[in-house]
Amino acid sequence: MEEKKSNLIVTIKKWHTVSSWTWGAGDDNCGICQMPLDGCAPECQFPGDDCPIVWGKCGHKFHLVCINTWIQRNINEPTCPMCREPWEFRDD
Amino acid sequence: MLSTQNPAKKRLLRDFKKLQDDPPTGVCGTPESDNIMKWSAVIFGPQDTVWDGGIFKLTFDFSEDYPNKPPVVKFLSKMFHPNIYNDGSICLDILQSQWSPIYDVAAILTSIQSLLCDPNPNSPANGEAARLYEQNKREYNKRVRDIVELSWND
Repeated sequence: MEEKKSNLIVTIKKWHTVSSWTWGAGDDNCGICQMPLDGCAPECQFPGDDCPIVWGKCGHKFHLVCINTWIQRNINEPTCPMCREPWEFRDD
Repeated sequence: MLSTQNPAKKRLLRDFKKLQDDPPTGVCGTPESDNIMKWSAVIFGPQDTVWDGGIFKLTFDFSEDYPNKPPVVKFLSKMFHPNIYNDGSICLDILQSQWSPIYDVAAILTSIQSLLCDPNPNSPANGEAARLYEQNKREYNKRVRDIVELSWND
């Protein structure tokens, strides 16, 4: 008797995908607003593209809106709030 | 909506929560019940120092620019200290040129607390206190004990 090979044909009608992302900043808080870096600063409405985080060349990281407000207070010689080194954005 | 609320107020709520969850030794602070931009605080004189037993009251006045600008901090209690003016204003670098937006109420209070026992005679705000601190420690300590006692009354 010949064995009959059968293929199961499945039709996917719909699916749900879930993905998650982080900025790779761990569980740290932003030192300026004290909110989680992966969360959002008080000025922002949503975490994510609405509230990016940035690194300085010194290695310290903040919400972009938070560090921007700080460096604008001393735009000629901005310093890192953590280490007081001159603040320069790290280019990625 | 909470997320677009004034950033200074939101930061001050975080400061208050941190101060309650993880209070530093010998200091406490709380916002006024109807205005989170104004706080009252107390610093207890550090134990085993000449300041021991003192209960010193302070006020904090925050602007909308907090934490990018420091609050105005003043002692309400009468003080006798090289870096504290007669009106209670404090001469402390982190409250002026060395301010950083990472400081919070807890950090300010502990800095002022350590200033009590570790004055900086190079930037005197009270000339007499600075002079006695340098030249006549006995008299200086006596004057400090006097204001420690005074602090119990106000």
